[in-house]
Amino acid sequence: MSSMLKVENLESGYGAMQVLWKPSLEVKKGSITSLLGPNGVGKSTFLLTVLGSVEPWAGKIFYEDKEITNLPTHKKVDLGIALVPEGKHLFDGMNVHENLIMGAYRKEAIKYIDDSLELVYSLFPILKERDRQGAGTLSGGQQQMLTIARALMTKPNLIMLDEPSQGLAPILVGEVFETIQKLQAEVGLTILLVEQNAEASLNAASYVYIMHEGQIKAEGTADKIRGSSDIREAYLGI
Amino acid sequence: MKIFVRGGDFIYKGNTQETLSESLSEVFSNRVKEEKMILTLLAGNLIHGLLLGGVYGLATMGLSLIFGVINVVNVGHGQFIMVGAFVALTMFTVLGLSPVIAIPAALIIGMALGFFFFYTVMRRLIRAPELTSLLATFAMGILLEEIAKLIFGADFRGYYWAVGKITLPITTIPMSKLYAFIGSIAIALFLYLWFSKTRIGTAIRSVMEDSEGARVCGVNVSWIHALSFAIGIGLTVMSGVLLTMFIPVGINPYMGGGYTLKAFVIAVLGGLTSPYGAFFAGLIFGLIENGAYTLFALIPGVAPFPLTVSLAFWMLFFLLLVKPTGLLGK
Repeated sequence: MSSMLKVENLESGYGAMQVLWKPSLEVKKGSITSLLGPNGVGKSTFLLTVLGSVEPWAGKIFYEDKEITNLPTHKKVDLGIALVPEGKHLFDGMNVHENLIMGAYRKEAIKYIDDSLELVYSLFPILKERDRQGAGTLSGGQQQMLTIARALMTKPNLIMLDEPSQGLAPILVGEVFETIQKLQAEVGLTILLVEQNAEASLNAASYVYIMHEGQIKAEGTADKIRGSSDIREAYLGI
Repeated sequence: MKIFVRGGDFIYKGNTQETLSESLSEVFSNRVKEEKMILTLLAGNLIHGLLLGGVYGLATMGLSLIFGVINVVNVGHGQFIMVGAFVALTMFTVLGLSPVIAIPAALIIGMALGFFFFYTVMRRLIRAPELTSLLATFAMGILLEEIAKLIFGADFRGYYWAVGKITLPITTIPMSKLYAFIGSIAIALFLYLWFSKTRIGTAIRSVMEDSEGARVCGVNVSWIHALSFAIGIGLTVMSGVLLTMFIPVGINPYMGGGYTLKAFVIAVLGGLTSPYGAFFAGLIFGLIENGAYTLFALIPGVAPFPLTVSLAFWMLFFLLLVKPTGLLGK
C-alpha cells in the first residue's frame, strides 16, 4: 500500500513551550491508523500541526508523497485532508444544514455538494430529520455526528479524528467506531484516529502508534500492540 | 454658542450638538411655558435622536464586526469616524461634490486604511494580550488625529448640505439628516443581506462563531480577518460622512474620542459581537440621548449638555452591572 500521510520528525508547540519532540508517523492509503496516548501528550497538537493550525517548527509532512509542511490550512483542506477537531467547534448559531454547507466551503467541495449531502444523510439519518435545528441545541452524540458529517462535506481523502468518542455514552461510543469503520470500508476513506480509548481503537485500527510526552514511544500492528503486555501496561493502562 | 432660556436658567455651551440647540432655540424662542409644549419639544427631539441614532448604529457596526471577528477592541474607533467627516468635508468644500459621492469614496478610503492597518498593526494583535492591543489601537487613533491636524489644522469646521427641509408641526427636519438616516439603514440592510446570502459573508459569520471550526472547513481565516477589519473600518468611515449632516460646525481632528465612548456603550447595549444588534442599539441610544437632553434642560440650574455626555458612562455602568451580555444579546 502506498503512503497517504507521512510525518517525519515533527516539532511544534505554543510560544516557547515545545509540545512535539520529533514524532514520525505514516498512514497507509485506505487504512485506519490510530494514534493512542493519554491526555496531554501532544496528540491534538500533532493533528493541528499536520493541518497547519499550529505552525510546524521543524520536520516534514508529506501527503501522497508531496511535501505540504508549510502549506496554509485551507490549501491542505483543498488537497483532501479533513479534521474532526476535539471539542467539535461547530457553528452553534447556524442550523444543521448550514453547518454542513460550511463544510463544503471550498470550491473543490462545492462541486460534490449534492453527493456529499446524500452520503452524510445516509450515514446519519438523524441529521436529516433535524436539518433546520440549531447546532447548539443538538445532543452531544448528534453534535459529534454533525462534526464528522461536516468534515465529510469537505470531500476528503484523509480524515483525521481527534477523540471522537470523548464525552459520549458507551452505547454511542460503539456507534461512532462503527461509523468510522464504515467510512473506511464503504466510503473508501483513509483514517487517522486519535484516541484515549485504547480498547476500541485497537479493535478498529490496523496499525497503531503510541504517543507519550510528544514522542512516538511504540508502534506496530494492532495485534502486536495488543499482544505486548509491556506496552499495554506502560502506556495504555489496560 | 449660548442659549438663554427662561430668563437664563441655564447656559448651553455646545459645539457638537448643534442639532439640539437649533431645535431648542427654535422652540424656546417661542416662549415655551406649557407642558404641552414640552411634550412637543420632546417628540421633536426624539425624531432627531432617531435619525442620529441610525448613524450611531452604523458607526458601531464596524466596532462590533471587528471585535466579533478578530477579538480586538479598537480603542481608535472614533478616529475613523473623524476620517470620514473630513472625507465628506474635503469633497464638499474643495471638490464641490455632494456627500452622496463621498459615501463610496469613504468606503474605498476606509477599506484601504483598514487593510493598511491590518497588515501593519492588527495582524500582530490577534493573539496578543489585551493591554497590548489597547495600547496599539489607542496609538493608531492618535496617529490619525495628528495626521488630520497636520493636514486640516485644529479648528472646528463644517459645511451645510442644503437640500431642503421638511416642516412638521412639532419640528423641522433638514432633508440632509433624513438622507443620512436612510443611507445608514440602506448600508446596514445591504450588509445584512451580504452576510446572510453570500459565500464570503457566511465565511465571516463562521469565523465569528468559531474560527477553529471555520479553519477545518477550509476557510482562509487570516484573509477573513483582514477583510473583516477592512470592512469594519470602511463602515466606520462611511458613518463619519453621514455624521457630518448632524454636526454643521463640529468637524475637528479630535472629535473622534467621544464617539469611541458612545460606540462602546452602543456595542455593549447591542451584545458586543452582533453588528445588527449594534445597529438597533444605536437607534435606541440616539433616542435616549436626545430625550434625556430635552428633559435635563428642564431642570433649573443644570447644564444639560455635560449631563448628557455623562449619560453614556452611566448607561455603560448600569448595563455591565445588570446585563453584561447586552440588552439585545443572548
